[in-house]
Amino acid sequence: MSRLEERYRFILRLLPADYRQEWEDDMVAAFLESMDTGDPETTAYAADYGWPSMSEVASIVSLAVRLRLGGADAPPRSYAWGQAVRLATLMAMLTHAVMVTASIAVTLWLSGKFAWLPTPASEWAITPPSSIWHTAWHLAGYAWLPAYIALVLGHRRVAQAVALLAIVPTTITTVVAQATSDGPLTVSPWAALFIDVALLLAMTAFHHEAPPVPRRPWLLALPIGILLVPVPLFTIQATTPALRLLDWPGLSCAAVTAAMVIHLAVRASRRPSRTLPWSLALTLLAVTTLAQRTATLPDYRHQVQHATLTTIASVQAIAVLAVGVPLAVLAIRALRQLPPIPAAAPRPVTSTE
Amino acid sequence: MTEPAFFILTALLDAPRHGYGIVAEVAELSRGRVQLKIGSLYGTLDRLVGEGLVELDREEAWQGRLRRYYRLTEHGREALDAEAQRLAANARLASTRLRDRRNPITGATPS
Repeated sequence: MSRLEERYRFILRLLPADYRQEWEDDMVAAFLESMDTGDPETTAYAADYGWPSMSEVASIVSLAVRLRLGGADAPPRSYAWGQAVRLATLMAMLTHAVMVTASIAVTLWLSGKFAWLPTPASEWAITPPSSIWHTAWHLAGYAWLPAYIALVLGHRRVAQAVALLAIVPTTITTVVAQATSDGPLTVSPWAALFIDVALLLAMTAFHHEAPPVPRRPWLLALPIGILLVPVPLFTIQATTPALRLLDWPGLSCAAVTAAMVIHLAVRASRRPSRTLPWSLALTLLAVTTLAQRTATLPDYRHQVQHATLTTIASVQAIAVLAVGVPLAVLAIRALRQLPPIPAAAPRPVTSTE
Repeated sequence: MTEPAFFILTALLDAPRHGYGIVAEVAELSRGRVQLKIGSLYGTLDRLVGEGLVELDREEAWQGRLRRYYRLTEHGREALDAEAQRLAANARLASTRLRDRRNPITGATPS
């Protein structure tokens, strides 16, 4: 086996095992033939040092996403995972959209644009950005709102492109801030960026075979979400300084735990086929928030209230685990009852050796 | 029917072909416009096999490997025929209108 074949087979491992069993050898044969230039020397060189092209790898990744995260016509297990990733992505995008919309409103209030609202306390006064570039940079984060709307309306590529507008400036700002800061390196911004990039990639689950996103509930969720989460949160944090200790990973833990509790209460009265994608989606979000909470714990070492913050974070992590583990067990059990992902197996009509 | 599926079925009309044979034939038929990647080819091929439009014809040993040849089924031929008629009807519609209507930009009437 040549090095090129080894590399190609390694990429093919992205595909489900059943599918590979049926198609892998044929795919390898076709790929190696496509790399045959006709010149034995060049072909031999490519066999040793060549790599599958980016477009070739992308076609395998795209096939793997379609097979593993299937649409409505896919086998039940593939469809359940597909819906789970799509629901988790929508929920995470909705959270971003809700928080940025609320932050626009808060910024306008703090800037005195809402004369009919009470004047903000002087400690909340915001420093105006030093240049138009800073303003533009700051506004880039708001791209999550149009990205979410584009995704709900079925424009997946537009959503990804717009989300990239939110991610790239944040990445550059984080790199510059951490490189030029005199203080210790912090994990929190990197963890948030990692999740954002994962979100960008997860949007590929909205492929052309995926069912369309129900527009009305997901669009309605935006104003409802703003009224239910950031508005009360901001009001409470403004009036109760102790609650300012709840950071973003902590808030995520609280939100995911609450969502899981509600889901566990509701799922008992619903058909398992309808609740399984939600169970899996919430399990995915629980794993993500738990990982974020754990990874950002070292950042507290340099805080004055180190002991209090660590205790609060531990309670948050325990709450996610206490609800998340039973939910994950139930979801995995329900998933195992579904048939696995089969491959359409071509059977030879005649065979010539 | 997607464009890759349409070209794959067309490539199999005259004879059974193996994976890379389909890629090469599709590139030639489309004058280089449709360059199927292997992942895209098999992503479409497995669906066509699943829908009964394509089936395995035979397996042949070639340079120490087993090559699979695929062929069009009767159902596949009918589906391709229906799609070709649909596309031709669409093309005729556009051509007729293009001939009859004045160009709103240049104001010229086709001769």
